Amino acid sequence: MLSGGWRDGATAPRLLIVDDDPNLLVLLADQLRADGFEVQTARDGREALRRLEAGWPDLLIIDMMMPRMDGLTLAREIKATADLPIIVLSAIDTADSKADLLEEVAEDYVTKPYHYPELRARILRVLRRLGDKVPRRSLVLGPDLTLELHRRSAIVGGRAVQLTPTESRLLYALAANLGSTVSTETLLARGWADTDDADPSYVYVTMRRLRRKIERDPDRPVHVVTVRGVGYRLVQTGGDEAADAVEAAGIAPAPG
Amino acid sequence: MAGEPGTREPTADEPVASGPLPGGSAGAVDETAAIGSRLSFRLRLTLALLLTAVAPLAGFGLVLLTRVVQRGDPDPALRSLLLLGIAAAALLGVLVALLLASDLTAPLRAIASAVERVSRGDLSSRIEVVGTDELARLAESHNRLAADLERRNRELRSILAAIEEATPSNGVDQLIDMAARDARAALGMIDAAILLVDPLTVPVTAPVPGEPRPVRAVLRLGDEIVGVFVGHLPATRTWEPADQDLLELFAAEIAVAIRNAQLFERVEAQNARLLELDAAKDDFLRGVSHNLQTPLTSIRAYAEQLGSDRPDRRLAIIGEQADRLSRMVRQLLTVSRLESGALRSRSEVLALAPHVRRAWEALAAEGVPFTLQDLGQGWLAVADPDQLDQVLWALLDNAVKYGGGATVQATIAPIPGRGQLGITIADDGPGLADADRAGLFGRYARSGGEGHPEGTGLGLYVSRELCRAMGGDLYLEPSPGGTFVVVLPGEPPEDGETATAG
Repeated sequence: MLSGGWRDGATAPRLLIVDDDPNLLVLLADQLRADGFEVQTARDGREALRRLEAGWPDLLIIDMMMPRMDGLTLAREIKATADLPIIVLSAIDTADSKADLLEEVAEDYVTKPYHYPELRARILRVLRRLGDKVPRRSLVLGPDLTLELHRRSAIVGGRAVQLTPTESRLLYALAANLGSTVSTETLLARGWADTDDADPSYVYVTMRRLRRKIERDPDRPVHVVTVRGVGYRLVQTGGDEAADAVEAAGIAPAPG
Repeated sequence: MAGEPGTREPTADEPVASGPLPGGSAGAVDETAAIGSRLSFRLRLTLALLLTAVAPLAGFGLVLLTRVVQRGDPDPALRSLLLLGIAAAALLGVLVALLLASDLTAPLRAIASAVERVSRGDLSSRIEVVGTDELARLAESHNRLAADLERRNRELRSILAAIEEATPSNGVDQLIDMAARDARAALGMIDAAILLVDPLTVPVTAPVPGEPRPVRAVLRLGDEIVGVFVGHLPATRTWEPADQDLLELFAAEIAVAIRNAQLFERVEAQNARLLELDAAKDDFLRGVSHNLQTPLTSIRAYAEQLGSDRPDRRLAIIGEQADRLSRMVRQLLTVSRLESGALRSRSEVLALAPHVRRAWEALAAEGVPFTLQDLGQGWLAVADPDQLDQVLWALLDNAVKYGGGATVQATIAPIPGRGQLGITIADDGPGLADADRAGLFGRYARSGGEGHPEGTGLGLYVSRELCRAMGGDLYLEPSPGGTFVVVLPGEPPEDGETATAG
């Protein structure tokens, strides 16, 4: 089942689960261990921070409603010291006004009650995406377009445009390989890892909608460019300044 | 305020302009006076002088002349001399009378023209006062009148400016301070304060000569008393009824402003309280949701784990029922968000057929046949996946409940020319009575009352609102039977390799 990065003899990914419900903690840890993860648990934010002092995991799964220190505070504190990926596991659903705040600090969001296979798929997706080096700062793509993926928004001609979670996931993948082509299959895997029935048309349609949002002329895109028969490429316009901006944003092209 | 006649700079110190001296024309002012005759005052004075001084003299000359003629001494030289003398005396008399009359009426004309200038709005105009006679006193009182008018005008202007400045959003305390300060400046007071108390509790003090003069005005709003204005004027300052009127006017206006500010503060406080309550409600719902979902999460997860070890229908039922309960909790949460307008949708593209199929499987309606027909091959809907699931669960659950075990049919089809997709969910059941159709989408609506106790009665209401929030709609087909149509924004199939090539 697992096709993660550690099947070729690499070490198993280390996870830290923070939840105040001991039943859930025990069960989820069992399930994840059975799937080959190395799992640590913490009952609250303080314990989690203590465990982090001993060593950083590859990924954290954090509940939002916890006594003493809530998940949002914990996540912010963690992000302030280390850019560790976080998956929020919460009874607060995405229609809640608080969900936006959570999504700013978290890489992904799973609502309770969860389906274990879905949660596992999301964990794997976030771990895979680590190679993408998600930019936490603004990425200037041209005079009219700046991506602020950590806020899930783009600034198009001076106006902030909200991106959907999927759109920002696709842009993460493209931005990590700025200027190079990313295959449709890769994008499909990045955007819809937890959807069994996704097919390439998901990518086409999402890209079309994305262009309507961020391109000046969606019929003649300059930033989100189709590479026939292969996939898509994110292009920066505006010369040297833009090249400097890439460096400033700390984006390294993925190897290969 | 600018542009009104009174805006001329005060010129009390400039040399007082005296009116033009009478030259020729009789004053038009006199003709309009309420008291007086049609003949000008100067003409009448001249005639009076002539009659009293010149007429007796001329008469005496005439008598002398008559006697000379009667005496029969026809010395033509004497006659001529006499005639000449009479004529000269008459001429001199007229001249003197005219000059005297002019001298007497000139100050009156000056006063008249000064009054006219004041009435035109030039309050800075003053009359030069020379001497101490009655006319000089008249001129002085005119000057005082003009100065008073000018001062009140200035005060009125300051007061009106102060009233204009009093906006309710400043808050009552600031408004009171500002109004008292402005009134003090405008009326030249030593001190001034606005007290929001019953005026009866503030003792009235009588003015003592040589000491600052107390003034007060009650802040009245119709019959209601808002407070009282108290202050002190310099001892040298006069205080006329007109000044009191001005202060009362100010007090009335400030009373309105204070009341507005009080109401504004109350509304602000209520708004803040509502926001607080809203946040508290959000927190409460979040807590309830968390406290209900946490045990459900464990129940569900353990049932799932046990079931994966050795499949058991009983474990599946535990999982399904936990899911059902969890969906109901969400539904109540959604209702609360709909009520407070806090519902948000996030649109993603998705294929409808697998969603509908999964929603059906999640219901685990054993023994009820289900068909799914997809006429929108390649179409993708644009919807919030979580919210769409809520809608599908509610509609499919309804179809099972009211279909009486008949086949539940779902059809997905693009709506021609509108860029939309429709999901039709029909059951072969007895359908809906007309009475039930109306109000079906209302809150707590439940069909028939034939004893379907399960469900919250919120399903259709929530579903329709969710569909609308996602940019679509939900309606009941007019045909008999229970056929619901979900409409969602859709994206047509696309050959991504060619159509989007830049």
